[in-house]
Amino acid sequence: MRPRPPAMRTKRRYILARILPYGATHDQKEVFLAVIEAATSLWGDAAVGLAQPAVVFCDCGYAVIRCRRGTEKDIATALATITTIADERVALRTVATSGTIRALRRRMQPIRPLPETGEVTIEGQHFTVYRYPRQKVDLIEKGIMHQKSLFFTEADLEER
Amino acid sequence: MKTTDASVCPYPAGDSTLARMALEAAELGFDSIVAVGENRSHQLHGLEVLQGSVISATSQKEIIRQVRKPAVRDADVIFVNAGDITFNRAAVSVKEVHVIRNIHATRRNAFDHVAARSAAEHETALDISLVPIIQYRGIKRQRALQRYADILALQRRYGFLLTISSGARSILEQRSVREVRDLCALFGMTGAEVNEALSSIGRLIEPKRPVRIVG
Repeated sequence: MRPRPPAMRTKRRYILARILPYGATHDQKEVFLAVIEAATSLWGDAAVGLAQPAVVFCDCGYAVIRCRRGTEKDIATALATITTIADERVALRTVATSGTIRALRRRMQPIRPLPETGEVTIEGQHFTVYRYPRQKVDLIEKGIMHQKSLFFTEADLEER
Repeated sequence: MKTTDASVCPYPAGDSTLARMALEAAELGFDSIVAVGENRSHQLHGLEVLQGSVISATSQKEIIRQVRKPAVRDADVIFVNAGDITFNRAAVSVKEVHVIRNIHATRRNAFDHVAARSAAEHETALDISLVPIIQYRGIKRQRALQRYADILALQRRYGFLLTISSGARSILEQRSVREVRDLCALFGMTGAEVNEALSSIGRLIEPKRPVRIVG
């Protein structure tokens, strides 16, 4: 099948969203389901059907969401109402909106944990320490599933 | 004009420490935050942290009694949880009370035009919490949006102050100024109204007074 001529193609917009907490890895499909649930519950089936949201990729702590031009503000609002992905607490922070994925890739600044990790015990619970730039420290409870997370700074950790 | 998140609840009430929440709030475009349960006001990561205190009462007498407690008296911002119509009318007229909060959890007639006029006269603000918009789904969120639209109509008529709070207990629940603007647009608040509401904490703690000549 021949592709449509450029003037007749649907105009798209791409939204770059940062996924918090840092270091969380999510499947593209799980992110898509969370976006669709949030958008449908906020705007309804008809509006979301017209917006055609889709997750293009999900990598390095970022997700790129595609939608029809003119609906990007509605989808960005829906992204602000996402609280969980696959039963894990998250937040999606909209970073930028663009007409090309290439422009969004330039805005991506992957945040990786600093090499020094450690362990700490708080109120009898054992946590693994992940350090990030700007003195941010994420504490993830040791365990297999549904681990508790605490969000500290370097100074908070030193006080304990 | 300082952009303020009117209420956050740091560790141990939530999972994020005050310093981390202040760091995130600064990145999200805020100039100050009101930390509920914090016992001192200070600067953190270039962001002003104000001390907030929440009063849960059932009568005006009880509010006055609680306001006199040292922990509440020392707070920069004093919140009162909203109740029924008579309670709210009384609460807005208490001089020490700055903000009425949790209005989305009350009945539809709990804040009427009489309370609105009184709030404008006494410079008491009403808090719009983003928690029901972000975290609720279905009928609960619809009710909250209806309540906020109703309050906005009263605010436009009587001109009392509004504050906007994330009510965040975690950095994952904090939202940027731009996201706050988009979420408030859901119940018809304009960008200028959002900016005014975000800066109203400054006006509450330092109200406009006539110039006084000393000496």
